[in-house]
Amino acid sequence: MKKITVDPITRLEGHGRIEIFLDDDGNVANAYLQVPEFRGFEKFCEGRPVEELPRITPRICGVCPSAHHMASTKATDAVYHVDPPPAAKKLRELYYCAHMCHSHIAHFYVLAAPDFVVGPTADPAERNILGVIAKVGLEVGGEVIKHRAYAQDIQAVIGGKATHSVCGLPGGMSRAITEEERADFEEKAKSMVEFGKFGLKLFDDVVLGNKEYVDIITGPIYTMQSYYMGMVDANNKVNFYEGDIRVVDPEGKEVAKFKPADYVDYIGEHTEPWSYLKFPFLKKVGWKGLEEGKDSGVYRVAPLARLNVADGMATPMAQEAYEKMYSTLGGKPIHATLAFHWARLIEILYAAERLLELCQDKEVIDPNVRTIPTATPDEGVGVVEAPRGTLYHHYKTDEKGMVEKVNLIVATVQNNPAMNMSIKKAAQKLITAGKVASEGLLNMVEMAFRAYDPCLACATHTLPGQMPLEVIIRDVEGNIVHQLSRNLC
Amino acid sequence: MKTLILGLGNPILSDDSVGFHVVQALVGRFDEQEVTVMESDLGGLSLLDLLLGYDRVIIVDSIQTVKGKIGQIYRLKPEDFVIPRHTGSPHDVSLIATLELGKRLGLEMPKEIVIFAIEVQDVINFGEKCTPEVEQVIPKVVAMVASELKGGEKPRTEE
Repeated sequence: MKKITVDPITRLEGHGRIEIFLDDDGNVANAYLQVPEFRGFEKFCEGRPVEELPRITPRICGVCPSAHHMASTKATDAVYHVDPPPAAKKLRELYYCAHMCHSHIAHFYVLAAPDFVVGPTADPAERNILGVIAKVGLEVGGEVIKHRAYAQDIQAVIGGKATHSVCGLPGGMSRAITEEERADFEEKAKSMVEFGKFGLKLFDDVVLGNKEYVDIITGPIYTMQSYYMGMVDANNKVNFYEGDIRVVDPEGKEVAKFKPADYVDYIGEHTEPWSYLKFPFLKKVGWKGLEEGKDSGVYRVAPLARLNVADGMATPMAQEAYEKMYSTLGGKPIHATLAFHWARLIEILYAAERLLELCQDKEVIDPNVRTIPTATPDEGVGVVEAPRGTLYHHYKTDEKGMVEKVNLIVATVQNNPAMNMSIKKAAQKLITAGKVASEGLLNMVEMAFRAYDPCLACATHTLPGQMPLEVIIRDVEGNIVHQLSRNLC
Repeated sequence: MKTLILGLGNPILSDDSVGFHVVQALVGRFDEQEVTVMESDLGGLSLLDLLLGYDRVIIVDSIQTVKGKIGQIYRLKPEDFVIPRHTGSPHDVSLIATLELGKRLGLEMPKEIVIFAIEVQDVINFGEKCTPEVEQVIPKVVAMVASELKGGEKPRTEE
């Protein structure tokens, strides 16, 4: 059997492995993404006070701790049947918009931009953030760092700590912000709006201005028909913090809209013997395997999915960018996986605009940020849109609020079926007749799942801070055909 | 000289928590004006946010090497990592690329970075404790970091 191993796959944290199986003719028969799983999290949580979970669950993942903190805090609201006061909700959303900016900026400039600014098949030694700043200028790098720091400052002030927030409590927030802090946030938010606009302009110049890239984005290698899921506000506009969950079919038609607490009626979880990760699917459509199209319950979450399910963006400049994306790529929904990157940039602008709106809302400094829970705790669901897609936290407790059961459905798991399919599709188009894959070709396979900004087993920070992902290509007999390796130390 | 002691790792992921445990033992032992003790399970660019403004940074983290012995302690400098400058994760860049980026951007980077790395085994199972072989070297690492701060004779890499 033939096997290609790309050793530490660049830019994938967690021991990921892509296995590509060839048929008799050396064409791709199947491709699978395999990741390890951290074990025992549910058990770890059992028997602890539920109000501890907003501080424990962010430890699952060092990449989007604020998303877990918020989803968890909202789940504790639900467990205690308590509705936070308006200022608390606004403060949470403000904090959360800062988090979205923080996360999305890193993904675009550090992970997506190397493929587009430096080039998808460029030497990996150049295809990174350092290569990006070498091309577009040092000052862009400075702006990236500056606005990451702004978003970080806002989260730290509200969150109470530089890195691991402790602000969310059942019924509200641990403290209000001062007028001075609000005014500081407002200035930072204004700058972030400008940076959000800059990102879209950069995309316009570098990506849309290059026909080759547009062809890659819209071409068959990276196109996949699926359902989409995301949270929308009362006007069916994208919202990261609160709303209903909307699902559209591959033609863009709404097929479900439900309260987060009802997710079990809509999401099923299929398992496969070869993967630790589950394969969520839409219950009402059913699991038909890793198949595209309307008859298959495979759905996608994350930026493009959010934009596909919504009727638009709730802020003016993001709305304008939204319209431009759909008119450029041929209407809704967009099935081009690489358009996740474009959608992510539109979301940066939306998050920044919304952040500014909230900073200019005087109610955000109202000192009343907590409703003290009085009901007996039992069970609750909290949902936010994490940077990588819809994130569900579901807890059950005893009458003293001690945790009995925890169920989390994280974004990357929901995209697991689609990531497998996207990888297979890219592999099928790029590797033919047993042709030994080059580094550049394999990077293009990687691009198929990098678009999802996957978050695989990502809590570990064991030095040197990067874990290998192998790409293994095997022939019909299971022999390794080829292996490309970049080293770990 | 403003110093940051930064323990990296997930405090509830078994051996990944070793950096966390080491810095916990160091809290309150130094002049707070001069030395900040912090723990974090963030990586990449987020680390850059934390490092800026310090003259010296001491990082304590877990490590897994090909032939390492569990519990082995390494005292390393960033240049000891012979890693190609790829970005290292789907979300972020490696520590080394982060430092390089900061330097190229002309940011106020620490003049000195020392990394204490402890060879670990279990970074898969959730749990607040390290495995025994790792747990037993924690006091030694604490002492090494403390002695590093005194600016005395630098501890050497343990074999």
